[in-house]
Amino acid sequence: MSETLLELVDITKSYRDGESNRTILNGVNLKIEKGEFVAIVGPSGSGKSTFLSIAGLLLTPDSGRILLDGNDVTKISGSRRTMIRRKSLGFIFQSHNLLPYLKTEDQLAIVQEKEASERIHIDDLLNELDIADCRGKFPSQMSGGEKQRAAIARAFINDPDIILADEPTASLDAERGRISVEMIRNEVKKRNKAAVMVTHDTRILDLTDRIYRIENGQLVCG
Amino acid sequence: MKYAWKEIMFGKKKYILIELLLILLMFMVLFLSGLASGLGRAVSSSIDTMDADAFVVDDSAEQIITVSSVESRVLNELLEKNADAQPLDIQRMYIVKDRDDEKLNITYFAITPGSFIEPETTEGTGLAESDAEDPIILDDDFMLEGISLGDKVYDSSTDLEFTVTGFADDRMYGHTSVGYISTDSYTKLRKSLNPMYEPVYHAIAVRGDAEYDFKGNNLELVPKQEIIENIPSYSAEHITITMIVWLLVIISAVIIGIFNYILTLQKKKELGVMKAIGMRNSELVGMLISEVLIVSVIAAVFSLVLTFGMAAALPEKMPFYLEVPGAVTVTVAFVLISVLGSLLSVIHILRIDPNIAIGGGEE
Repeated sequence: MSETLLELVDITKSYRDGESNRTILNGVNLKIEKGEFVAIVGPSGSGKSTFLSIAGLLLTPDSGRILLDGNDVTKISGSRRTMIRRKSLGFIFQSHNLLPYLKTEDQLAIVQEKEASERIHIDDLLNELDIADCRGKFPSQMSGGEKQRAAIARAFINDPDIILADEPTASLDAERGRISVEMIRNEVKKRNKAAVMVTHDTRILDLTDRIYRIENGQLVCG
Repeated sequence: MKYAWKEIMFGKKKYILIELLLILLMFMVLFLSGLASGLGRAVSSSIDTMDADAFVVDDSAEQIITVSSVESRVLNELLEKNADAQPLDIQRMYIVKDRDDEKLNITYFAITPGSFIEPETTEGTGLAESDAEDPIILDDDFMLEGISLGDKVYDSSTDLEFTVTGFADDRMYGHTSVGYISTDSYTKLRKSLNPMYEPVYHAIAVRGDAEYDFKGNNLELVPKQEIIENIPSYSAEHITITMIVWLLVIISAVIIGIFNYILTLQKKKELGVMKAIGMRNSELVGMLISEVLIVSVIAAVFSLVLTFGMAAALPEKMPFYLEVPGAVTVTVAFVLISVLGSLLSVIHILRIDPNIAIGGGEE
């Protein structure tokens, strides 16, 4: 079995922009292996988010193929996409996006699949992320850093193959942002996941294994 | 269901206000439906409670007992064929307590003393057990007029004296209280108004089956429910109020639907995120429906308690009559229609694009 968990082949995507068509992604290729933490940078509007949406099965590309663990998932049905997002992908967003009415343990339990609960225990995960004392707290009772870490825990709760992070430091100060990304890195290494992080925060790039830049719809290494 | 409950508990203040509104709406619905059936019963309860299955009336009477006329030979012929049949006359008149007192509306039901259509008395005795020459059993509403057992009341146009021998509850016909007298008393009454009066019956009440050539005798056998629906004013009143009740049920459901829709609109980003992280539509819709169910069932329970509490405190003369089955029907309909009313929100949930979770929702 190949070590490649996520592979994007020749992805293109364009939007209607008034009268004209604007090509955001023009033949993007990317391969991510187990245990790899990849950063994608670029100015805003460069297509970073579009790229992440396509990799996260939230948006379909105009052409190209998406392979998850060797399986082509480009043209699968909506409900299977949802299932794959639930079981094989873990999302971390710009802000924590936790549900205001649930305590941390319920935030995790509401998305956790039964089979994942045998491999991943909520308590262990909260301990690793150093927020064990937030287990019974509502988001409104937690600090910004704690909330983002609860959100990281939620991304890992179903033991997914791939972690997709959309500017995870955007709502945090430099120190807390760095701690959060360190935690993502630690979990990725420890659990042997593949992770893609979209960011424009250059201070955390040293935590990643490879850095890509989006330029003119192409993914450029370095 | 568990998470829906947690959401409700988290937003207690908001949901208490919604509950309050729903309870009031629901209370209004239940109360009106109680008044509706109360009014209906004020027209029909004497027939409704009568231990008969059908009535023989003449076929030109349009199923209205008071304008029908059935020859007395029909009764004899029916009895010969072993039918369980009893004569019935219904006559609206006035009675007075004392000769110069205020006239009171009454509808006489002239029956054979001791027959199956005679009501059970809640106080006093039946017509057959009375020694009085012209005994009468009155609807217990007459008690509120200061009439009691053993009193004499007088028919206002003939001065015929009746002795009150018993009271029965809930005996109304066409918004008037009923007085049960014997067919003999009734004949006496008619004869003093019109010396040429020949005894005929308005109708014959039948219990069970009756084998008889009704058609050939220009008669028809009408089931009790049809007789009730043809009592003048019954249908008109009943349909109107029933329509108001159901209109209110629907309006309440629309209000719930709108509330729900606003709450769902507010949660758009939240729902988008939940979809992005792989929550199935069925789970999200399930949460919404559970929430609606919890909210509407709580409202239903509280408003039922409120309505029945209020009913107990209502004055006797108020035509309020709410049976548990009727209340349950309205309540269940309310809950079901609330769920239907939340379909708009369901459609909204299904249409939310999970991609709004990426890029802070700006793109």
